[in-house]
Amino acid sequence: MTKLAAEHVFKIFGRRPKEGVRRLQEGADRDRLREDGTTAAVIDASFTVQEGEIFVIMGLSGSGKSTLLRMLNGLLEPTSGRVLFDGQDLTALSAKALRDMRSRKISMVFQHFALFPHRSVLENAAYGLEVQGVPRAEREKRAAEALDLVGLDGWGPHWPDELSGGMQQRVGLARALATDADLLLMDESFSALDPLIRRDMQDQLLDLQQRLRKTIVFITHDLNEAMRLGDRIAVMRDGRIVQIGAAADILSHPADDYVAGFVQDVDRSRVLTAASIMERPRVIVSTDDQPDAVVRALRTDKASAAFVVSPAPALRLVGTVTEAQAAAAADGEGTVGELMRAATVTAQPDAPLADLLAPASRSDLPLPVVDGDGRLAGVVPQLRLLAALGDRPTPADRADRSDGSDTAGRADQSIREEAASA
Amino acid sequence: MPRLHLGTWAESTVNWLTHHFSWLFDAISSVVNHMYNGVEWVLGGPSPLLMAGILALVAFWLRGVLAGVLSFAGFALIDSIAQWDQAMQSLSLVVVSAAVAVVLAVPLGIWAARSRSASMLVRPVLDVMQTLPAFVYLIPAIIFFSLGTVPAVIATIVFAMPVGVRMTELGIRQVDAELVEAADAFGTSPLKTLLRVQLPLALPTVMAGVNQVIMLALSMVVIGGMVGAAGLGATVFGAISQVNIGLGFEGGVAVVILAIYLDRVTGALGDQVSPLGRRALARMRASAHGLSFAHYRPRPVVGLSAVVTLALVACGTGVFSGSPSSPTASGGPGHGQAVHIGDFDWDESVASANLWQQVLSDRGYKATVNTYDPGAAYTGLASGSLDYVTDTWLPTTHAAYIKQYGKNFTDLGSWYGHTSLEIAVPSYVKDVHSMADLKGRAGEFGGRIVGIEPGAGEMKLLQSKVLPGYGLDKEYQLVASSTAGMLAELKRDYAAEKPVAVVLWSPHWAYSTYQLTKLTDPKGLWGASDSIHTEANRSSAARLPHVTSWMRKFHMTEAQLGSLEAAIQAAGQGHVTQGVKAWLAKNPGVENAMAPVVAGSGSGPGSGKN
Repeated sequence: MTKLAAEHVFKIFGRRPKEGVRRLQEGADRDRLREDGTTAAVIDASFTVQEGEIFVIMGLSGSGKSTLLRMLNGLLEPTSGRVLFDGQDLTALSAKALRDMRSRKISMVFQHFALFPHRSVLENAAYGLEVQGVPRAEREKRAAEALDLVGLDGWGPHWPDELSGGMQQRVGLARALATDADLLLMDESFSALDPLIRRDMQDQLLDLQQRLRKTIVFITHDLNEAMRLGDRIAVMRDGRIVQIGAAADILSHPADDYVAGFVQDVDRSRVLTAASIMERPRVIVSTDDQPDAVVRALRTDKASAAFVVSPAPALRLVGTVTEAQAAAAADGEGTVGELMRAATVTAQPDAPLADLLAPASRSDLPLPVVDGDGRLAGVVPQLRLLAALGDRPTPADRADRSDGSDTAGRADQSIREEAASA
Repeated sequence: MPRLHLGTWAESTVNWLTHHFSWLFDAISSVVNHMYNGVEWVLGGPSPLLMAGILALVAFWLRGVLAGVLSFAGFALIDSIAQWDQAMQSLSLVVVSAAVAVVLAVPLGIWAARSRSASMLVRPVLDVMQTLPAFVYLIPAIIFFSLGTVPAVIATIVFAMPVGVRMTELGIRQVDAELVEAADAFGTSPLKTLLRVQLPLALPTVMAGVNQVIMLALSMVVIGGMVGAAGLGATVFGAISQVNIGLGFEGGVAVVILAIYLDRVTGALGDQVSPLGRRALARMRASAHGLSFAHYRPRPVVGLSAVVTLALVACGTGVFSGSPSSPTASGGPGHGQAVHIGDFDWDESVASANLWQQVLSDRGYKATVNTYDPGAAYTGLASGSLDYVTDTWLPTTHAAYIKQYGKNFTDLGSWYGHTSLEIAVPSYVKDVHSMADLKGRAGEFGGRIVGIEPGAGEMKLLQSKVLPGYGLDKEYQLVASSTAGMLAELKRDYAAEKPVAVVLWSPHWAYSTYQLTKLTDPKGLWGASDSIHTEANRSSAARLPHVTSWMRKFHMTEAQLGSLEAAIQAAGQGHVTQGVKAWLAKNPGVENAMAPVVAGSGSGPGSGKN
């Protein structure tokens, strides 16, 4: 279900912003506008965020990502375009209704924590509730619960300046969670923390997300963070969204040279998953099949082995059978189920490539990938695994993408469709 | 360049305002007066040591034991140098001015912080308020609000308020933008953002501004003294004009004690009221071990209730002790009618005004004398806040004021005719008796003649006519300074028996204090001498027919005036009334001659009318 949608959002600063929008729509570029003293911070941004999703907006500083974020909760008003939250157009709300929306439905976590230094940790966590007008006893109870949630139980009476950076940001997170808002906007929330703490906070956020299933829009300039946290990632450059897709997708099929350059230093073996590079197995046979049928199928497809699945409707992977094994039994009685070798080495679709190397090296056959129900989802041939790890994808690669993954192409296409319908 | 008549416009604006908005000024005046009287009643009512105790308790509560003890010692010192009443009057002036200034400044500062255009609008106004010399608006302030406390309060507000506005604006602008955004992101309304985030975080800066407002208000106390506001300003101003170093020092010390007390207390108050300040204090106390009693401070509730209790005691005693020196209306020929006499800090002025005050009080009038700068006094006389000014030198010295305000005055004629302008040298300088004798002795006098204010008529006359007339203009440089500066220089050189030539006039107390030679003027270049007139406000002259007729007939000889001034000098500073009484006792006929009473009847003489 779509929680949040941005439709052709523009934000132009400077004189005559509306005219800036018109000129951009007519094809003028950002630098031309800047010469005239007009800054186009966000240009024609469209995307949707699904309920329960972590949507990461990634870009370098000056790419417009923070401006975009501030339009999602109405802190900034788009120069043009709409922001829909639960189907409600934020730009159409009165200032008061918008404030009410922010105090109840949308909360925010800041880069430099933005804790109020004149309030205790508990009072900080209770701030959003105080704005809502929740009575003291209740808001303190709920704030304490939020502090528990982020692992700060007992720190309520302390002052923010007594806490380490990581703890302060947890207070910021608790403050955002205490209001029980549906949408969490996180503006470079972990960028000011040192790397180890940042990793802890990322883990904690993922852990919380498992439990709470909030809708989160997370801003970062750190690609690894984006890849780690994001269900989907929007890459921004110079005010425009250049690509939206899952991490693996962006890595394998960058939309342009900019994204390609951006992703080249990412540790691919940890970001790419089995699902993102697996292929359709060439020959699948059932345990009921006759060996001679298997031999025929293997010869037709010029494959050395077939994957054996249990009969429909279960279709679970049970083993493999090579051409030699099948040929040896082809003239005799029996089924594939009796002569196959049981499949012991498999991989999960979400396993990172780094975890596939060892299993793949133990067999001559492609590594089968099975889903949670034990069904064969695809296979990863050793050569393809090596190629994926060494690959420096260029935008041209997009032409021969593989199947079986949520591709950038599809995401782009869906955006285009939405754009057309809007 | 065409001459822009900016000054004329300013003057007509002032006139127009006086004409059309006198009701407003009267209202402001009355409000300020009531505030001042209220505060002065509270501060000045209780006996000095009790009040010192209360003030010390406040310091103890806010800063600790040492501050409390030192405060008490300081205020006890003020009492022991007989400046208590003046100090409390000044403190009241500061409290009222600072309170009004802060009440105006903080909202203005908030407004300026929240709106760029407001800030741009307010800033030049503040610049003008801070830098315009106080005297420029002090005289219009007198025209609007009459003499006394009110113009002093207004001038102080004008001078002290800008820093409050600036610091408030700065404090709010300094609040971390991310915190304001955070408040906004959680849906806080602008007003609540101001109250919950911006103001609490700006409070240390705002309180530093309040502290500065109070300090600047205190620095205006002396200027307030020149327009007739009672207090340490009047003490210091009076002492300066008479080169009374001792009294000036005492007044100055009292000002300094007040200043330090107010600075420390408001500084500590700033820490107490701001959450961040309290936080810092708590941390400091947590880290300070040992000597715990020195760091002991009563909790706010305890401290406040102690102050309130003492204050209640003080109020109780204050009501009963009252202020014994305050004049009370009584019966008699004057029927308790109020007569306001203005004087300048010139000896004959003080002497004549106080002589009349004493005589009129004896005749049943409620007569008061206050000391002003001449400009202020004539402005007050024209507006009717003064009834009489007894020391008007005509036709030369004060002619400008008569030209300005003469239509509002009734001239009651001259009571003294022996004035003169001259250059004087100490008698130990041999063989210098006339202006002509100065020629060729410039080396002896350091080539200079010590003058007074550059704007004074006497200075202009000397420069343009007298010095060239005796051929001294090339030889001597006429050094402009001030009357007080000239007298200080005379005192210094006289003590060292150095030759010095000063610009002086008669009558002047310097002639009775030092052995001086008035240089004669054989060529008559100084022109005809002034005589001293009494000027009355036109409507007062009609309202007080007896006093007016008595003053018309008033006359003093040089011997009388000299002995009266000497009697006042002998009584010492602050005891003018005793000096006058003593002199009247020695000259029994004078009082009846000045204000003849028809025997037996309780009313004034009908024969006195012209």
